[in-house]
Amino acid sequence: MIKDGILLLKTLLLSTSQINIYRHTTDQKKKKKVVVSFIGLICLYTMLMAYSISMCIGYGAYGLIDGTPVMCALVITAWAFLFTFLKTNGYLFNFREYDMLMALPFDTETVAACKFLYMYVKSLPWYLSVSIAMMAGYGYYARPSAVVYPIWLILTLFVPVIPMLAASFLGFIVARISSGFKKNNIIQTVLTFAFVIFCFSLRYIIDALFENGKAEDTFEQISVATGSAARIYLPAKWFSDAVLKPDIVGMLLLIAVSTALFAVLFRIVGRSYRNINSALKSHAAARNFKMTGQKKHSVVQTIAYKEFRRMTGSTNYMVNGALGMILAALLGIVTLIMGFDKIVAMVTQNAPFDAAILQPTIPFIVYFCVGMMATTACSPSLEGKNYWIVQSLPISKKTLYQGKMTFNMYLSVPFMTFAIVCMCISAKVPVSETLIYIVLGFMLCCFSTAWGCVCGIKHMRLDWENEMEVIKQGTAVAIYLFPNMIATMGLCVLMTVLGRHVDHVLLALILIVITGVLAALSYMRAMALAERT
Amino acid sequence: MSEKAMLEIRNYSKSYGGEKKAADDVSLTVMSGDIYGFIGHNGAGKSTTIRAVVGVLDFTEGEIFIDGHSVKTEPMECKKVTAYIPDNPDLYENLTGIQYLNFIADVFDIGAAEREERIKKYADTFEITDALGDQIGSYSHGMKQKVAIISALIHEPRLLVLDEPFVGLDPKATFTLKEIMHDMCAKGTAVFFSTHVLDVAEKLCNKVAIIKQGRIIASGTMEELTEGHSLEETFLEADK
Repeated sequence: MIKDGILLLKTLLLSTSQINIYRHTTDQKKKKKVVVSFIGLICLYTMLMAYSISMCIGYGAYGLIDGTPVMCALVITAWAFLFTFLKTNGYLFNFREYDMLMALPFDTETVAACKFLYMYVKSLPWYLSVSIAMMAGYGYYARPSAVVYPIWLILTLFVPVIPMLAASFLGFIVARISSGFKKNNIIQTVLTFAFVIFCFSLRYIIDALFENGKAEDTFEQISVATGSAARIYLPAKWFSDAVLKPDIVGMLLLIAVSTALFAVLFRIVGRSYRNINSALKSHAAARNFKMTGQKKHSVVQTIAYKEFRRMTGSTNYMVNGALGMILAALLGIVTLIMGFDKIVAMVTQNAPFDAAILQPTIPFIVYFCVGMMATTACSPSLEGKNYWIVQSLPISKKTLYQGKMTFNMYLSVPFMTFAIVCMCISAKVPVSETLIYIVLGFMLCCFSTAWGCVCGIKHMRLDWENEMEVIKQGTAVAIYLFPNMIATMGLCVLMTVLGRHVDHVLLALILIVITGVLAALSYMRAMALAERT
Repeated sequence: MSEKAMLEIRNYSKSYGGEKKAADDVSLTVMSGDIYGFIGHNGAGKSTTIRAVVGVLDFTEGEIFIDGHSVKTEPMECKKVTAYIPDNPDLYENLTGIQYLNFIADVFDIGAAEREERIKKYADTFEITDALGDQIGSYSHGMKQKVAIISALIHEPRLLVLDEPFVGLDPKATFTLKEIMHDMCAKGTAVFFSTHVLDVAEKLCNKVAIIKQGRIIASGTMEELTEGHSLEETFLEADK
């Protein structure tokens, strides 16, 4: 079984390895693409490391450096859990090469375990980026003994295992439940959304369980919160103990529990693996179609509709593409019910400032959610093996991408507008200012759509085996996502600072112009790139 | 009906970066009303040539003209009159059959009444009308092939390009497709298709080209090429 597992894992990794493509392709364009993707990923890892180090600097400056290991374990845990959960359908279940793999002499446990390990190996560089950067920061401030570094590095390999297993188990339950329904796709999407939203609110549930009163500053409060979380989530404590003391028991517990859970989980999953996949891969067919009045649409609209069906037809695409929109809508509703001030106090851990100064940031707060993902970033790659259709049809590339952009605008603008209106009502923003924020939100949607399209075309990858490779782990999505999120956070800070000195309306108008120009430039760039594809 | 060159391939070559060319100096002409068979071994260069003809594959050496328009410089003009059916049609699995056909009809700007009439006609002919409301993902290989064929026919192309069109089709659908190809040719449409099935090519085509290792080793009308022998014998002789 182990020999089979190693062989299968090796093959799975090789089949999607960019290095393998680089080594064996004679197509210079493809080689160049691999190099550009690699450089792009290195830049993203560097950004992530810089962000992690900046967290350590904050901890060091406030004398809380001993909280770094717990923080590191929790960041990796949260990330591993959420991202694995979003990937289980597509990687662990319902993957394209299922029939081919199951026809080979591998037992179901081996296939499921290898699929899990494949996910683990693929996401390890991200976790290592966070961990190594935090280890460096911790080393600089705490000056620990030399033995801490190898312990830290070894345990980093185990820290994501338990959350990934937990997420896989939840994914398994979702798949198990969904597989019992005729419309399993819809059930799976709804259940996945429900779990993800629960996860997002988990931090506030933990905070509510450990009410510590008001702390003097935010960093201290975060430190208290992470300490509380570590009391619930023992593996983070084991990691922290193993690094800080160093404690051999903590170290052994983390390794032993991770390994044991892995063995147990795949024994359970293996039993119903075939059933679940068979159900998820089957489609309900009515075979009762009657030809009734068909309608004619413009090419752009028909492409937009095709994109809509592509999204609703895939749980992975739906969850990842619409998550930000759903979160924005929920944020708007929750703000409307609870009040803007209370939400700000909750998010900032009661940091001492007037919530009114955050009013100019409303469009950016919403954009943080809505702009989390632009469908245009992954939809060019999602054409995959269907690319021949649009290539052989008399559709200009410009029209094709205009259709894709139209769909993203249809998707993002209503959610953006709804959330801004809710937050503005709650924050008692004047009507005229609200209208300007809506325009700013619209401009941000335009920018997100066009910028996503630039990334999507520039880093288009059609030779994927699993759609998650381009939805969740694609270079185009990563290059769109991270700078966009960091820039949005930066703009929130900038708007807060400038909002104290400059008139809010004037500030919003300036940003409308800047965003509009950026959107127009991105659109022109996307159209120029489209011509070249 | 006056004959007109619908497809003209001139000195087309394509390599994928290696020393060996997948298509090497390929030249052939398909006139309106022709049913032109393109035969050769696996990996001989049939699909590489077909994919370049329909604008899916980029190429630098040679020229390809469809209805007098260059595939390189006027791709849209070429695509407007061409329909392509690949060997293994990967269609949009999340669309229903009717949604996919409407998508194609919208692209070719076909009016509502016209599309309905044509879809109904071909869907009834291929006996898949009942299934048009279901997702393509639920279709068998043959049904997907039928949807791909209908999508190719609804805009009444002047050049029909097919890559191994009979693979996966049931005998009745194979017969229907052959009939449709004959009807289209009678109306002046040119049909260019690749196949491994020499019997089909012999009965269906009026012209044939044999490709081996990327090069055309024989081409012409069926009579010229076979000279009283079977196409199989001719092919095996040319292939030596």
